[in-house]
Amino acid sequence: MSVEELVRFNGEALGHARHTVLAELTLGLQAGERVALLGPSGVGKSTLLAALRQRLGYRAAWCPQEHGLVPPLSVYHNVYMGRLERHSALANLLNLIRPRRDAWHEIQALCGELGLEGLLKRPVAQLSGGQRQRVAIARALYQAREVFLGDEPVASIDPHQARRLLHRVQNQHTTCVIALHQRELALTHFDRVWGLRDGRLMLDAPARELTLDDLDTLYPDAHSSDPQPEPA
Amino acid sequence: MREERAPGLLAGDSLNLRLARRSLGLIALCLVLLPFADLAITTHDPWAELGRMLSGLLHPDILATESLPHAIALTIGFALWGTLLGMLLGFPLALLFPHSRLLRGGCAFVRAIHELFWALLLLQVFGLSAVTAIAALTIPYAGIFAKVYAEILELTPRAPVDALPEGVGRLSRFVYAELPMVWSRLSSYTRYRFECAMRSSVLLGFVGLPTLGFHLESAFREGRYPEAGALLWLFYLMIASLHLWGHRRLLPWIALGSLFLLGPWPDIDGALLWRFVSVDLWPQPLLEGNWSGLWQWFGEIPDLLPAIGNTLLLGLMGTAGSLVVALLLWPLASRHFGNRPTRMAGKGVLILMRSTPELMLAFIFLLMLGPSMLPAWLALSLHNGALIAFLVARHADAIVPGSHALPASGRYAYELLPRLYGGLLALLFYRAETIIRETALLGMLGIATLGFHIDSSFAYMMFDQAFVLLLITAALNIGVDALARRYRPREIAETPGQHDRPAGEAPC
Repeated sequence: MSVEELVRFNGEALGHARHTVLAELTLGLQAGERVALLGPSGVGKSTLLAALRQRLGYRAAWCPQEHGLVPPLSVYHNVYMGRLERHSALANLLNLIRPRRDAWHEIQALCGELGLEGLLKRPVAQLSGGQRQRVAIARALYQAREVFLGDEPVASIDPHQARRLLHRVQNQHTTCVIALHQRELALTHFDRVWGLRDGRLMLDAPARELTLDDLDTLYPDAHSSDPQPEPA
Repeated sequence: MREERAPGLLAGDSLNLRLARRSLGLIALCLVLLPFADLAITTHDPWAELGRMLSGLLHPDILATESLPHAIALTIGFALWGTLLGMLLGFPLALLFPHSRLLRGGCAFVRAIHELFWALLLLQVFGLSAVTAIAALTIPYAGIFAKVYAEILELTPRAPVDALPEGVGRLSRFVYAELPMVWSRLSSYTRYRFECAMRSSVLLGFVGLPTLGFHLESAFREGRYPEAGALLWLFYLMIASLHLWGHRRLLPWIALGSLFLLGPWPDIDGALLWRFVSVDLWPQPLLEGNWSGLWQWFGEIPDLLPAIGNTLLLGLMGTAGSLVVALLLWPLASRHFGNRPTRMAGKGVLILMRSTPELMLAFIFLLMLGPSMLPAWLALSLHNGALIAFLVARHADAIVPGSHALPASGRYAYELLPRLYGGLLALLFYRAETIIRETALLGMLGIATLGFHIDSSFAYMMFDQAFVLLLITAALNIGVDALARRYRPREIAETPGQHDRPAGEAPC
């Protein structure tokens, strides 16, 4: 069976102007593959995700960290922003004053699934950190694209919730690339693991062939206890 | 081992020493130039006059003024519509502001001319009408809003825009991902500007528009001090109670209601207006293309150079005076000095002085001391000094002193001032632009700055001369602002002003 390859990097350097973050990157993203992206903070996970986002264009739903949200706007409007480009400017303006009925029902159902029921009218500024992350996930799901790209979407959510949310995301998206710091989740909920360390791709292997010890080698302080959650 | 020599007076390279040298230089320059200033006291008995004024303040007579409610309504109506229209004009300009040098120059120009000068100019066309009053506020405020809104918009966080899907239109992006991020800062600045508009609206009475200031000026001028006292208290009350009646929900109704009071609207003769703008405002030789005649025309403006000199000198004196007043007065309102009653009193005095516009203070001092630069100097120093002192005291209150055993002088000189001085000086240099703007304006009271000649040129219907003097005033203001920006302490990462005022505070 031949699998469609969505993106391929061939020995490329990724980074910002004049500063290379990831050198000689070679990897491919296959359709239908669920990929966990691991590595210490600042190693270039966000850079790789941004490059994937750029290559995939309209096929990717993008779930950035919570600072991509607009705190003064309501949960409803923040989620609605996932489809901002599908409506005219006038329709978007009117929606700020009076929510569209169809969008409202759809977003209400989506938020209900993510444990945000009853919060649609609440400004995001008044939510807890975990709730905000779920709003960011809701927005990405609302985009309804083929591939889900997430930059630590479940970072400050408890393990039980995190599993539920990943499950929900993967139900809708057969292909996804999600940056994580919970290594256990990488082994249980994903098909493949990409591991970054020291500006390189150190690990690119099917999840079922890996153990937690393999993943530990990605982190400089591998011998200490559980890694601290990365600061957002 | 060689012993290290103690450094000489003010020698050293620390930040505070550099700032101290800079401010002592400012004060020294002021002292050297002081003999050129006319500081004579020409009234007989200033103290008796002050006594009568104070007694008027203590025994205010609120019923002496006719049609007072109408004056109050007009004051609020002018301020509200001036701010509203200024905002509506300024906001779209703010979007273009970063892209057009011409626009930035134009905004700097309209900002540099004081509201009252605009009123004098517009008066010639629209007479004593609401159009004059509202446009006199709207025009400079549009320039101020354009600049300040643009500065606030520039600081919009990028993350929400980056998170948007591709292909989102410009307008949708702006209203969803940019505007909400800065909305609260924009509205708090607009609110602050409305407070300034209230003060300016009162001052419009000084050129004859029927606001509170009109009655205030005539009561003071004619020595009816109980009436003047009542009006002054009323003015403070209006400013102090702004947060009570200036509610977001209430303001639109006040704006609509005041529309019925603002009339009668003037008949505007288009041909006359065009003639004024295209012919009357420009020197005759310039319109004829006669360059040598233009040079001669310039030479005929009376006392042009002394007026510019006096404006700059008074501006310098006002800045140095504000520095000294601020240094002396800030402990009055700080929790580190005195006890509860002294602090209450100190705060009260500072708030009173900073709420009274320079023009009004100068006018009161003028009645006491007679026409010279002295009343203007006092007014500039006290108003701006108190304003800075109040902000510095608030900044000082946030400092926890390391040792409580120090006497008051030690706390002032060793614990607090070294940490506050940079912020104080930064505020002073921010104010320099306002001070020079006000300095020119104070000429309207008869002090020999540029404003005096502008006022009298208008009085003699020499509009071309008045207009050129206005241009010179604006250029002076822009120049001083550039100079103050250059010497403003940059090393201070965070000045107290930044907490109290939105970015790029423009003069009030």
